[in-house]
Amino acid sequence: MRRLSDILCVFRIQLISMRAEIGPFLLAALVFPSAMYLFAKAVSGSEATLPTQLRFLAGSIVFSLSLTSISWLGYLLLENRFTGRLKLFATLPLAPSSYICGFLLFAFVQASVATTTLLLVGKVFGVQVRPSLLSLALVVILTVLCLCGLGTVIAACARSFTEGSLLTDACGAGLVFLAPVYYPPEMMPRALRGASQILPTAFAADGVQAALSGSYAVGTQVIVLGLMSVFTLGFGFRLTNWRQN
Amino acid sequence: MIQESLMATEPTELSPRDGIATAAIRVCGLVKQYRDGTEANRGINLELHSGELVSILGPNGAGKTTFLRQITTELRPTSGSIEVFGIDAIASPEQAKQMMGITPQDAGVFESLTVLEHFELFGRLKGMRKTVAHREAINLIESLGLTAETEKRVGLLSGGQRRRVLVGIALLSQPPLLVLDEPTTGLDPSSRMVVWGVIRRAVTDGAGVILSTHYIEEAERLSDRVGIISRGRLIACGSLDELLGCLERSYRLSYRALLDPFGKVCKCYFASFAEAQQRVTSEHLSEYSITRATLEDVYFTLTGERLANRDEEYETLV
Repeated sequence: MRRLSDILCVFRIQLISMRAEIGPFLLAALVFPSAMYLFAKAVSGSEATLPTQLRFLAGSIVFSLSLTSISWLGYLLLENRFTGRLKLFATLPLAPSSYICGFLLFAFVQASVATTTLLLVGKVFGVQVRPSLLSLALVVILTVLCLCGLGTVIAACARSFTEGSLLTDACGAGLVFLAPVYYPPEMMPRALRGASQILPTAFAADGVQAALSGSYAVGTQVIVLGLMSVFTLGFGFRLTNWRQN
Repeated sequence: MIQESLMATEPTELSPRDGIATAAIRVCGLVKQYRDGTEANRGINLELHSGELVSILGPNGAGKTTFLRQITTELRPTSGSIEVFGIDAIASPEQAKQMMGITPQDAGVFESLTVLEHFELFGRLKGMRKTVAHREAINLIESLGLTAETEKRVGLLSGGQRRRVLVGIALLSQPPLLVLDEPTTGLDPSSRMVVWGVIRRAVTDGAGVILSTHYIEEAERLSDRVGIISRGRLIACGSLDELLGCLERSYRLSYRALLDPFGKVCKCYFASFAEAQQRVTSEHLSEYSITRATLEDVYFTLTGERLANRDEEYETLV
């Protein structure tokens, strides 16, 4: 019970802090991904088929998740670490895992707002979506966990605030553009094709696309994203420690 | 000059009548050596009791913060032991932290949160119920002179007001032990008085307080005992009277050289008032003062260093 209360408090602190940052959140979570959807649709020509449109929408959802989970969350963790706020948390009888879980909860709320809004954006632009909500929720949750894990690792390992924020920004956008998120893997440069398909964003895009088309066949994506989440978050939890040697 | 009994480097300094149950902190043989070989703390022993305030005095880099960070469990000691109300703080840091209110030297605040939100949310994180956290937040805000800032975002406050917020967070839930690392650094004199009042009230209510400072006046006015730390060693620890009483030369003559009336203030120490006066006569000094030695003189005698934050500049002749 105490643990849950701690997690909710950390979440509330981040939520209240966001009052001043609502503009950048809307840019990262909604405006840029929506613009990317329109851009991809425009580049593909007027006769984009439904699967292609679903792919673009799935790509934009993953783009939004990547920006909010790695870039935004990583930045917040870095900010806490390098401005002394982490020290304030460390003075409390608070478990480091509760601190990270508070952030994860914050990321889930952001992800649900962004995903729902982008689905509405898709609807406005005429994409016929019949999502399998269970598959979609599962894939989105695991994607957020995996990408937050990456953000946590970067925030814990960075030697300076500048280095950390550069890395989170680069990973947040880079993982989307290096993976076959908006386009099928065949359209990727040959040299990148192999490596890009094992990126978490590639599995996330496949899973979200399948879920948007009403399919429950997201087993592979769920398993891979689950394993990646365990690995990245496990590493992130391990690195987040109140104590120094 | 200082009696051996005040030296605080030997473990035998610990009084046998002080049982573990009554000691708020018991530190034995604490050593902290960093990877580059720097020894920040070298065999520190200290005991602090409930209702007692011990100031740790020393210049920057002396090892004060390292010492406190080990007590707060933020830094793992190389060797030695730390007990907080009988709890092994090295083995059970979270349990030990339940007993502590901590103000780290360089902690940050959340600029978008108001003062009240800080106190309420951090009160909740200390395990307080919502209504209790709110009530205590209001009381603390009043005690710390932040009433006008209650609903202000902390990002709009001055550095001194933010520091008061951090001290307030440490005081939330009335912990039996307060560990405050330079709590009044950056505060103006009136804010400092407010914080001193709040800290002393906590001591009166039975809390044990250990704080580090490089303000001599703070150590003199607040402390029941003062520990002097120099180059990683706690070289003395005792009450102000004990420390002052052990100076062999406890009269200080301060003067300006006759031919340099705007020059630096020189200081000499004498065993008696008469000796000091004799010097005045022999040197034909016209601008001088003779006073009893202060904690700063004890500090200088022990360490050979002056604390950097004194207003006056002087040359010292001993």
